[in-house]
Amino acid sequence: MSGDGCVAIASDTRLGQQYQTIAMDVPRMFKMHDRLFLGLTGLYTDTQTLYNLFKFKLSMYKMREGREISPETFANLVSSTLYEKRFGPYFTEPIVVGLDKDNKPYLCGMDLLGALACEPDFVTLGTSTEMLLGACETFYRENMNEDQLFEVVSQTLMMATDRDCLSGWGGVVHIISKEGITTKTIKTRQD
Amino acid sequence: MMDFGTPVLEPGSANGTKQVPQFNPYQDNGGTVASIAGDDYVIVAADTRFTLGYSIPTRKISRVLKINDKVMLGTAGMQADTCALHKVISTRMRMYEHDNNKRMTFNAVSQMLSTVLYYKRFFPYYTFNIVAGLDDKGEGWVCGYDAIGSFEQRKIVCNGAGTKLMQPVFDNQVDWAQSWDGAGKPNLSLEQATDLMKDAFTSAAEREITVGDTLQIYKITKDGIQLEEFELKKD
Repeated sequence: MSGDGCVAIASDTRLGQQYQTIAMDVPRMFKMHDRLFLGLTGLYTDTQTLYNLFKFKLSMYKMREGREISPETFANLVSSTLYEKRFGPYFTEPIVVGLDKDNKPYLCGMDLLGALACEPDFVTLGTSTEMLLGACETFYRENMNEDQLFEVVSQTLMMATDRDCLSGWGGVVHIISKEGITTKTIKTRQD
Repeated sequence: MMDFGTPVLEPGSANGTKQVPQFNPYQDNGGTVASIAGDDYVIVAADTRFTLGYSIPTRKISRVLKINDKVMLGTAGMQADTCALHKVISTRMRMYEHDNNKRMTFNAVSQMLSTVLYYKRFFPYYTFNIVAGLDDKGEGWVCGYDAIGSFEQRKIVCNGAGTKLMQPVFDNQVDWAQSWDGAGKPNLSLEQATDLMKDAFTSAAEREITVGDTLQIYKITKDGIQLEEFELKKD
């Protein structure tokens, strides 16, 4: 979700195989560089594989170009990487969020084949996407500051995951601003 | 148009290749009903959009039935079953009034609806109901049902197509569900509840194509029932 000169990404921390919970401390968001995060919902092996792949690709990019990748370029990289596997896809839905060079928030969701959906306000993906969508639609306001953004993001994450038996068991919120990254963990229902 | 389904091969006929057309008796006509109950009021809200697949045959359909001036019934799901169900409930309600020479109470209506729905356990009405009303003490309550009559009495219920989008918002704003100790939990006034209902439906209409057009909000208080209409997105 975007704010005024800041952007937030949040996820729950449950890892499960259908109704069986495997672990309760697995956030699905990865820091790609100081102003860019990648969130990967879905099949966890693909989440790990893709994270390693993009970590490698970003190292190569940084060495060749001598600078960090912009969020928009990275989103297109993720998209084309996913589409390469058009007929045997990675079962994961990524979110790319970050701040561009003018500190403007950039956020983009994708399906498992890499179809980009860039939004100015908020993007939701995963098992509780509909609940998140309804909550975000109600509580999102334009130009929120960091504190307001954190409050809205964490409340919407909690209210949505509390209504989804496949999500929950804690949450993590990252706020990216030009000063840096603030990470907060939130306590939720443990059931 | 009625969907007669695709012909299927029926096993057990002479060579196992006899074709039998199958009739699907159910349709989803969308719609959402929601209700918030307070200490001395209860509001029932329903959108008026009637959908059939991606088309909108009409934008103005009522999903709410007035049982008496203290109890109302809201129904989402299939419109034909909704009409049939409302007719059965109206008839049963009138029979009760003649047999017992008194109005049906909220509890009586909520139990009767459960029975009526379960009576068709193996060919159910494709409807998702809420019964909202004031009890004997004048306090507002609402019951939410599944298609075959299992129900729960609560202070806030929503049912139908927009449930997934709206329910978390109500949990947060009415039940204070994400609060650690429940401190500061609001006791919503009738006006606050009405505003929350409008907000929730506006959000749902933004993202769920079967929700939209007009929102009918019935306010039940000791003074009777008042209807407020609120415009939603029409696209």
